[in-house]
Amino acid sequence: MTSTEERSDADEKAVGPAFECRSVTVEFPHKFGRKRIIEDISFLVRSGEFLTIVGPSGTGKTTLLRAMGGLTPTVSGSVLVHGKELDGPPEDVVIVFQDYSNALLQWRTIAANVAFGIERTLERQETEQRVRDALALVGLERNADDYPWQLSGGMQQRVQIARALASRPAVMLMDEPFAALDAMTKASMQDELLRVRDRTGTSFVFITHDIEEAVYLGDRIAVLTGSPGRIDRIFEIGLPAPRDQLSTRQLPKFLEFRYAVHQAIGRVHG
Amino acid sequence: MDKDRVIAEINWPGTAVLVFWGLAWEAAVRSGLLRYEYLPAPSAIALGFGELASQGILAPDIAHTLIAVAIGWAVAIVLGVSLGFLLGLSPTARRYSLASIEVLRPMPGVAFAPVGLLLFGFSLKTEMVVTILPVLWPVLVNTIGGVTGVHQRLYDVGRTFRLSRKDTILRIILPAAMPPIVVGARISLGLALVLAVVAEMVGNPEGLGYGIVREQQALRPDLMFAYIVTVGLIGIVLNAGMLALAEALFPSFRQLRGGP
Repeated sequence: MTSTEERSDADEKAVGPAFECRSVTVEFPHKFGRKRIIEDISFLVRSGEFLTIVGPSGTGKTTLLRAMGGLTPTVSGSVLVHGKELDGPPEDVVIVFQDYSNALLQWRTIAANVAFGIERTLERQETEQRVRDALALVGLERNADDYPWQLSGGMQQRVQIARALASRPAVMLMDEPFAALDAMTKASMQDELLRVRDRTGTSFVFITHDIEEAVYLGDRIAVLTGSPGRIDRIFEIGLPAPRDQLSTRQLPKFLEFRYAVHQAIGRVHG
Repeated sequence: MDKDRVIAEINWPGTAVLVFWGLAWEAAVRSGLLRYEYLPAPSAIALGFGELASQGILAPDIAHTLIAVAIGWAVAIVLGVSLGFLLGLSPTARRYSLASIEVLRPMPGVAFAPVGLLLFGFSLKTEMVVTILPVLWPVLVNTIGGVTGVHQRLYDVGRTFRLSRKDTILRIILPAAMPPIVVGARISLGLALVLAVVAEMVGNPEGLGYGIVREQQALRPDLMFAYIVTVGLIGIVLNAGMLALAEALFPSFRQLRGGP
């Protein structure tokens, strides 16, 4: 796998937005009738973009992500991948879950976990090659033969990211993937993720409740507030790339965005 | 397995205690503390082994009981795992059948011996009537538990990678449910041996179970105990073999069952 191949791959997919939500509404059955979880959500994800969705708990972040991944049906509105409306989990879109230890196959080695999404459709050699590449991307080449329980939390979450990358998705949906990690691991994982985006051209939709994380990672931030959750504001984050844990976080602009996002959330909740 | 690991895995203090009780038993019989007519000394039991082996009846008896165990256990596993998957995957099937299972489950298998005798006479089939039903439950119940216990997140993973129904069963549910299934199979194996021996004592006059009864009636407690010890040793060997097999088939099993 060379980076030029990946680029051309991504460019082919770049016809129009990679992903689009058009007034998506999701309801769940409730004690009496139905409870509306998210309402009238619309936004685009550009090809190769890193979009973060931030919001307090209870605003339906996970529900929105599951609807985007085709795991939860919408009651109205539509989700489009490359302009095609989805019913069920779409090709080219993979979800990375928050609870990595539940999401990994404990009976498989790391390499076999990473192969899980592609082993049915690709030839063995191609599968092995992609597994090696994906493990190299997240720095786990030397753990291919280990089992999940032998790795730290951060490494297990990398395995899940590698498993998603191996299928070379156009869009990766991540549900608070670093919420359970310590601050140092989290920082290095954030940088790793941005590097992966730069190298593969994959679009990311990244859900978090950590405002600093959202500002640090995002090209844009969508703010989800209220119950049912709605997206009222989308911030365009014009921070310089590549981002750096120390210098980026000290930029006046970083602090301004942090403040603005806090305000946007606080206005509704304060 | 290398020699060092074998030595390291043996429970030496436990073995020492076992040897101590053996010697105490021997001493008690020889000193007249226990009367030989009822309880032979370990040395007499060892001699009994030699006698049975030289007459050439121990090996065929072992073979018969092992075959009964193998058939009963295999039928129970095939039935238990396939029924367990059906019930585990279908809430409707569960709703309709769990009551029947809870009624059938406590029934002692030996109680069916007379039924077996009426139907099949003194035969291996009668042994199966006694063996299969009780041996089925641990496999069935553990399979249902294993299948229904698969974490919801794994289904999400299967869906995000667009697995078909068949692949979801083969690549997610089956391996995820394997540890409890293996535990059930292990319990069943021990049960199968017990029930085969019981069936041979009350029904089919063959194998180790019948050997125990026969030597008891022949007033040869030394030979009777030789049979009893044989059954015990077979139990130990079967259990160890089952564990070794599980660990060979599923390298992660050692971890999943929470062992060392």
